[in-house]
Amino acid sequence: MVKINEDIIKAGLEVLNSHKDSKLITHLNSCVHCGLCAKTCLYYLTSNDKRFIPARKVELVSAIYRRYFTFIGKTMPGLTNARKLDDDIIAEMIDLLYGACVMCGRCVKHCSIGVDIEYVVRKGREMLAKMGYVPESLQSTVKAALETGNNMAISYEDFTDTIEWMEEELQDDCDDPDARIPLNEHGKNVLYTLNPREPKFFPLSISAMAKIFYAAKESWTLSTYMYDVTNYAYFSSHPAEAKTIAQRIYDETDKLKAKRLVLAECGHGVRANRWEAPNYIEKEFPFDVITSVEIIAEYIKEGRIKPNKEIITEKTTLHDPCNLVRNAGVIDDQRYILKNCVKDFVEMVPYGTDNFCCGGGGGQLTMSEYNDRRLSIAEIKAEQIRKTGASIVVSPCHNCIDQLSQINVTYKLNVKIKTLAEIVADTLLVENMLNNNK
Amino acid sequence: MEWYFWVAITSLGICFAGYIYHFLKLINLGSPKDYSKKSGSTKSGIIYSFTHAMNPVNKESAFLNLPTYISGVIYHLGTFLAIILFFVLFFTTNINELISLLLAAFLLLSTLCGAGMLIKRITDKKLRHLSNPDDYISNILVTLFHLGSGTVLFIPDVYPVYMVIASLLLLYIPLGKLKHVIYFFAARYHIGYFYGWRSVWPTAKSK
Repeated sequence: MVKINEDIIKAGLEVLNSHKDSKLITHLNSCVHCGLCAKTCLYYLTSNDKRFIPARKVELVSAIYRRYFTFIGKTMPGLTNARKLDDDIIAEMIDLLYGACVMCGRCVKHCSIGVDIEYVVRKGREMLAKMGYVPESLQSTVKAALETGNNMAISYEDFTDTIEWMEEELQDDCDDPDARIPLNEHGKNVLYTLNPREPKFFPLSISAMAKIFYAAKESWTLSTYMYDVTNYAYFSSHPAEAKTIAQRIYDETDKLKAKRLVLAECGHGVRANRWEAPNYIEKEFPFDVITSVEIIAEYIKEGRIKPNKEIITEKTTLHDPCNLVRNAGVIDDQRYILKNCVKDFVEMVPYGTDNFCCGGGGGQLTMSEYNDRRLSIAEIKAEQIRKTGASIVVSPCHNCIDQLSQINVTYKLNVKIKTLAEIVADTLLVENMLNNNK
Repeated sequence: MEWYFWVAITSLGICFAGYIYHFLKLINLGSPKDYSKKSGSTKSGIIYSFTHAMNPVNKESAFLNLPTYISGVIYHLGTFLAIILFFVLFFTTNINELISLLLAAFLLLSTLCGAGMLIKRITDKKLRHLSNPDDYISNILVTLFHLGSGTVLFIPDVYPVYMVIASLLLLYIPLGKLKHVIYFFAARYHIGYFYGWRSVWPTAKSK
């Protein structure tokens, strides 16, 4: 770790001294240290470690704020435990703000005051990012996205080969040699995005979504230049890097003149592109930004696709991605879809805006140094799944899918993990689609 | 006018100035400017934030910690009551005996709640880890204020002591954690605005 110096301190404090509105000073001045947030946090619940209490994470940032920006903190730092920005607090911040927070926001909803703890954590991460202390593992993912256009550094050739292969799968699946996965086409209704995990590891989810678009007779396209729905700079909280990534997807949608930007099944991708991106680039988007969950629900409601709920008879449960549900308000559409696609749907307890994170949020899946912690906090999700008795777990988020797959092995759950598009695609009958597309 | 009245009035003025300083700072910085396309209602979100979202049934921090939550509610009600009484006592000490008895009983209860929370903060490892001197001083000052308010109703001789406690509290409010008297409302506003904008709140269908 680089030793702190005056320039680094200045860069870190600048984050606490830049106010676009009253939100930052509000949340830095509001915590009363009641500690009642403890039991809302996965890290505390699974370890009983007092360092992991959400209020403790807020305290790291607000103690620095008090030391440099309040009268009492400057004159009597001991009274409020106002702390200098030094190597010790930076080491603590890296460990707790990057390594012990999934940024799920569960503590926010249940805070007795209403402190936006996740926002303060993000501001703390922003300080670290501006000072150059982003964990190397997370930064390398951001770097790959900045340098290659996608966080897995997939080459153009590899990507187009995969899409060609998936197009063949689609044609077989739909029994239609004219079924296509359109690339870089202008003026379509939908520009669809992907999580790079799809072309890299789970290409069948691409053909699943293509099958849904085919069945709905959607006018759509993929871009070969900018298809990555993720924005890991949202997790590292480096605003300039987040802006660069957000700007690319905006520019691509604008270039292709698509009416709607449809975000793939990726919780943080939804949050980063639907809610944060316009603020990163400080511009209102002239096109609609919606999630694949919403568009699938729309197709079912409009009768454009007709899932057959007799096909999937196994008990199925749903894992709510925090960034899609609690932080983006997409709460009911995924339930509507599942109730139309599977015979036996059961909720986890708790669910919806009270759900527990799978443990893979906040960029944890990229930070291998915290793998043990990540899998130990997943104990709660494993128990939730076990209690439902379900044999299929659905989640509209590829990051969650990755973590759930690891939970499945670690906690010997013996369940199938599926994306929502895969479930829907499995319930679309070929004869119905052919009739529909005639 | 007795010296302790002057002390209290001066402290009140300083407290008020501090309060105004924080309030104007918040107003001056203003509400967030969000460039994303709103999907819900910020107004409904803010209303929900101050109402349903505060319902203990909807808050794990409340229903998983019910004794602490109830103590906290009584303690805060006691504080509001003591503040009102402080202003009343500026003008008259002639309060109906039954009302005085009821007020004193409630203030005694809230004093006990405050003392209980102080003991918890000292003895609970988790809370001790989170606490700094400001947390203890704030609790002690407010709890003494409750006790003084209840006592002065029946023992007028403690009036100067009561006024000194009230003055110390007033001077301390804008400095330490007690300024959450302002920031609590700002925090609930912001959280309601945030969730309302994204149509997370109000939530009716899903929990």
